[in-house]
Amino acid sequence: MNSNGFTFRMIYRAAVGLAWLLLSLPLVGWAQPQAPSVSGTLGAVGSDTMAGLMLRLGEALTTQYPQINVQFQASGSASAPPALLAGTTRIGPMSRRMTTDERSAFIERYGYPPLELRVARDALIVIVHRHNPLAAISLQDVDAVFSTHQACGGAEPMTRWKTLTQDATAPSGRIALHGRNMASGTYGLFRQRALCDGEFRPDISEYMGASAVVAAVGESYAAMGYSGHNHLTPSVKALSLTTQQGNAVPPSETAIQSGDYPLSRYLYVYVNLPPDETLPAAERAFLDLIMSAEGQQITRASGFVPLPLDDLEAQRAW
Amino acid sequence: MKGLKSALEQGIWPWLCAGCVALSLLMLGALLALLLTRGLGHFWPSALDEVTLNNGDVVVGEAVRDVPIPNRAGSERLYFTGNRDVDDARWRWVAIDSIAHQTQPAELLRLKRRTWGDFIGYLEAVEVGGERFSGRDALQQATQALQLPAPERARYQLTLRTPQGQTLRQPLSTVLSIEAPNAMHVGQKVRVWATDVWQFLSQGPRAANTDGGVWPAIFGTMLMVILMSVIVTPFGVLAAIYLNEIAHQGRLTRLVRIGVRNLAGVPSIVYGVFGLGVFVYGIGGSLDAWFFDDALPSPTFGTGGLLWASLTLALLTLPVVIVATEEGLARIPDAQREGAVALGATRFEMLTRIVLPMATPAMLTGVILAVARAAGEVAPLMLVGVAKLAPQMPLDGEFPYLHLERKFMHLGYHLFDTAFHGEDVQAAIPLVYATALLLVLIVLVLNLTAILLRHHLRRQRGSEC
Amino acid sequence: MTRIRLFHQPLRHLKDRIATGLITAGGIVVLLAILGIGVFLVWEAAPLLLDGDTASLAMLSPLAWGTLKAALMALLFALPLALGAAAYSAFFMSPRLRSRIKPTLEMMEAIPGVVVGFIAGMLLAPWVERHLASTLVVIVWLPLSAGLAGLVWHLASRRWQRRLPLSWAALWLVPWLIAMFIIALWLTPRVEQAFWEGDLRQYLYAVFGLDYVTRNALIVGLAMGFAVIPSVYSLAEDALTEVPRPLMEGAQALGASRWQAVVKVALAAAGPGLFSAVMIGAGRAVGETMIVLMASSNTAMLSASPFEGMRTMAAAIAIELPEATAGGSPYRMLVLAALLLFLFTFLVNTLAELVRHRLRRRYQRLGGAS
Repeated sequence: MNSNGFTFRMIYRAAVGLAWLLLSLPLVGWAQPQAPSVSGTLGAVGSDTMAGLMLRLGEALTTQYPQINVQFQASGSASAPPALLAGTTRIGPMSRRMTTDERSAFIERYGYPPLELRVARDALIVIVHRHNPLAAISLQDVDAVFSTHQACGGAEPMTRWKTLTQDATAPSGRIALHGRNMASGTYGLFRQRALCDGEFRPDISEYMGASAVVAAVGESYAAMGYSGHNHLTPSVKALSLTTQQGNAVPPSETAIQSGDYPLSRYLYVYVNLPPDETLPAAERAFLDLIMSAEGQQITRASGFVPLPLDDLEAQRAW
Repeated sequence: MKGLKSALEQGIWPWLCAGCVALSLLMLGALLALLLTRGLGHFWPSALDEVTLNNGDVVVGEAVRDVPIPNRAGSERLYFTGNRDVDDARWRWVAIDSIAHQTQPAELLRLKRRTWGDFIGYLEAVEVGGERFSGRDALQQATQALQLPAPERARYQLTLRTPQGQTLRQPLSTVLSIEAPNAMHVGQKVRVWATDVWQFLSQGPRAANTDGGVWPAIFGTMLMVILMSVIVTPFGVLAAIYLNEIAHQGRLTRLVRIGVRNLAGVPSIVYGVFGLGVFVYGIGGSLDAWFFDDALPSPTFGTGGLLWASLTLALLTLPVVIVATEEGLARIPDAQREGAVALGATRFEMLTRIVLPMATPAMLTGVILAVARAAGEVAPLMLVGVAKLAPQMPLDGEFPYLHLERKFMHLGYHLFDTAFHGEDVQAAIPLVYATALLLVLIVLVLNLTAILLRHHLRRQRGSEC
Repeated sequence: MTRIRLFHQPLRHLKDRIATGLITAGGIVVLLAILGIGVFLVWEAAPLLLDGDTASLAMLSPLAWGTLKAALMALLFALPLALGAAAYSAFFMSPRLRSRIKPTLEMMEAIPGVVVGFIAGMLLAPWVERHLASTLVVIVWLPLSAGLAGLVWHLASRRWQRRLPLSWAALWLVPWLIAMFIIALWLTPRVEQAFWEGDLRQYLYAVFGLDYVTRNALIVGLAMGFAVIPSVYSLAEDALTEVPRPLMEGAQALGASRWQAVVKVALAAAGPGLFSAVMIGAGRAVGETMIVLMASSNTAMLSASPFEGMRTMAAAIAIELPEATAGGSPYRMLVLAALLLFLFTFLVNTLAELVRHRLRRRYQRLGGAS
């Protein structure tokens, strides 16, 4: 009984102390200190494809300026425009270009367009299991495999491996499809460029990250999927794409940089920058880092293809 | 025959039921054993193989696993080869039947580096201020230099040679550790294992969450849970006292009690939706509009953050605390209360001096159970404030010290994120196992504490009554 | 003396009043906050329902179907296991063992869903895809092998029977099951060769037209079943142990075997309690988010095949809500899904609670409250 009373008193005192602390902290927090030098919070919301790149850039930035606080949320490119619009972030990395709707919604809300920066080049790859004998696929067949009705002009949907290849060692049965969830920029771009804006088949397994797609395809012999070029691992094989002219283009660095590979693209960072203002120091340091030689080296380390040099020069003038 | 007859008479049903218990135990045991071996095994410095293939290729690395080849007989082995800056890949699949021979050279090294991940190969030479060491001296110099302070270390340059014969130069300042696992004996391996485990617990993530430790996630989880219990304890206890001691014990109170109890069964994601809609968009948005309009469009409280996450989880665990405290209050015999009142105590005095002290262990049990539940909850946090990487802690030396508006890292979300979002799931999987093990251990220890406390409490009550 | 007391008394009473008022206010505020969840969800989802936005509602139907499918698969797997385990530990297990096993199994509940989901999605799913026949054989064979162990036990000599008693079977069956598991894994490829032409998946397609998806309802069922077992077990076990002993003893005195007494008397008496345990389990299975998110294929399809995936309402909320603009129709649709989850679990739990309450009163009438 006695010891109980004692513990209770202790707990009571601790609780009162903590309650005071809790009550006083938000008040103190709202005093909003003026930040000296390059410091502050850098938040970014957007592309999951660029998550690794953004994390690496964030790491590099914090080694340079330890005062900067980096927060990054990656749930897909489609989450960037709403976040920019709602003001939950000022920097929105996107693995595709903003649609006109998203852009005009932004202009309507703020009265100026968002600043658009190209950061690196990337490609969408169609992947199969590493032992799959298939080496190349035409864009029309990609559409036939992934979409419900063939907006690109194909005749029949293809659901089984035997319609795609005659090789005896090829998997038998249905092509097990793997892809991204709707919020992903990869999803949107693949739909636009490979499916000619057609509808995805409903039986594609959806994953919340590109590396999960790659891992799933690497585990299953009958699988086919799509992902960003940076997620390619030796467990899967990236198919060459056969163009209209009939030559198969592999997703190599030169083909991606030059744009010969049909599904190559730019990666973007969108910034909410009012025309008459300058960015806070943290954001500015971040953008400078991206455009620097070090930043482009980091894009390579993240599995992307650096921008062509002339492109980079043009970007630096932001 | 007699046995068979009796078996058919009595039936084998009890055995089937016993099998159910055994099966459940087996599954639980298998899960824990899996987490333990995979989670802790990752840090063990495993041997590095040098494999020469039939076509003359040399592959050097750590064997990870064997799987059967799908379209022909035989199996293949996955090697972790590192050297992503040279090979563009960290992994290599090798068909077992294509291996000509295999050795484990003692000079093979594994370097952990800040960027590009691990290097596996040989150390050619170490250069420092014009001096050049090679051979055995090189390794010794390099390991010693790793202990030096940063500016000293920056003077060292390593020359590395890949197994394929390429050389590359690596400044020592970007190297985190050097190991020669093939040359180590068990004692050394244990030491390396222990330091690696410690680094995993005490350091931040590196190389886009595919390497390094989970300290910010541990810290974020702890801070969030502490904030949550600071919020949930007083309110939960208050509500329990109200329900049990003050409210009129009528039909309405009974309904409310059942309602509160049932909220414990409402899916956590529903609380997440509530937190997002009310705390983040509603209250957070208004706070920003009133106090932080100069910072707009950058949000301060109008985005998920530590405060909103703690509040959401506090709401989620409120029923747990209320139910546990009420249970404790109900166990106190009415004679105790009546005795206190008869001696002239007011209700407040009776509550604070007699009832609450007796109910303290029950309250504690409730809070610990709440903490255990909150530590393992991920779904609502995905909506109200975890971040993929927030190397800056929400608590630091910068005024106002505790940054309630910051996003934070959480062990459970970190697990989900590295397993599904990471750049290279294959590379992150061992770390995910380690994180999972850590999370399970934390939650189990908390639960065990609650169970022991409750047990202790019941025994104590038993002896008193 | 009297002066001092007079001086103190009003203060003490004032303090008491204030404290009581504060506690009342605090308690009511907390209860209102809890109520607020329901109010908020209804408020946000109401415009959608009032507008009669059928397109959004149509999007909900595959999600609702997925939720039901996942919950059913989980219960299919968890219920026999949990109820069997409850019956065994309530009536056959030695009390000493029971006091250890019960908390251990209840511990299972504490294992975070994200860990279970990770193992199911990353380890179990690919393994099952490669060894589908073995998995199905193991699921059927392991429980049966426990029965086989019973048969062998009856045939064994007295000495062995005494050494390995039924009341400790939960422990010594573990190595037996491991052995049976290994035997099943070794044997199945041969059986598969003989009956299903070497590959069960192709056979399934050729004969039944069933396709196989890596992360399917079977995997979700196994993983979520694992998460549901402890809560069902714990509640069912409580209901069974509370069955008044005189009832059981009476039945046995009239010549029933122990198992007959369990089935005919205890299960019948505790029926409502078991029902409420099942309800609680269903509530958990419906709302579990992380396991489904990580172990299913997240395809919003109306398919009844256990080898195809699904997307549940909870998973859809976790995936889509962060991208939905507040106030838009996808946002409202997801809030409506949350409201449905809330209502379903709340009703199911209330039902379970009421049934349990009734049952306890009945036991008291039967005069043997434990």
